[in-house]
Amino acid sequence: MKKIKYSIRKEHKEQIERWANYVRDNPQEWKAKLKPFIDGQIIMARRFYNKLAETSEGREKIKLIKSNVKLG
Amino acid sequence: MERGIDNKTILDRFALDFVKIIEKHCKYIIVSGFVAIAHGRSRGTEDIDMIIERVSRDKFAKLHNDLVKNGFECMQSEDSDVVYEYLINKTSVRYTYKEEFLPEMEIKFAKDEIDDFQLKTRKKLPLTGLDVYFSSIEMNIAFKEEYLRSDKDLEDARHLRIVYKGKINENEINEIKKMIKKVRKK
Repeated sequence: MKKIKYSIRKEHKEQIERWANYVRDNPQEWKAKLKPFIDGQIIMARRFYNKLAETSEGREKIKLIKSNVKLG
Repeated sequence: MERGIDNKTILDRFALDFVKIIEKHCKYIIVSGFVAIAHGRSRGTEDIDMIIERVSRDKFAKLHNDLVKNGFECMQSEDSDVVYEYLINKTSVRYTYKEEFLPEMEIKFAKDEIDDFQLKTRKKLPLTGLDVYFSSIEMNIAFKEEYLRSDKDLEDARHLRIVYKGKINENEINEIKKMIKKVRKK
């Protein structure tokens, strides 16, 4: 189990490094590739919060969720 | 022509809209996760962290009211006095677009000499394509490696080190780390 975890960690690190190298070497291209991913998570989270806000106590739940969000 | 104008993300637009108001009232810097994300780090976040200089209650009221007038709201309170109390007690406050739950701008007052130093050495970082002030790359790497140290932060630091390979001042990072040990870890 430890071996598998280590392998995932290593592959994840390698992926981060591959992408960082791409960003450094392709300053005009990386943004277009990243934008759908960055926007997508905001759009999905907004959609969820809007749905939750429509439910009873939804807004209170959102306040609770947000009060637990790690700062930074 | 502004580079990549069509590629601004929702977070970019939010940061630019917010800074347009803030910069009329006080010095600010954007720090931490969004610095890495604005440099292409592919990870999610709901908030952008901002440190602003300590201002008087009256000056803050003007800033808060200007933000409200321009479509932002503070999650903690509508009352600028209440928001100010949070800030002077070293607690962050969060602003969003009115009636939107995210993204959020998390604001703190500068709380010690490190924050004052960050504000003093703030920089615009052309690689981001964003006309906003950030704390320096060296400062962000030092904080993430020496102080924050979560997997996410260490990965952010690694990303910045690769993007700025050959352009990073290691001596400055080491000096900042010493300052962090002295001021934040005492």
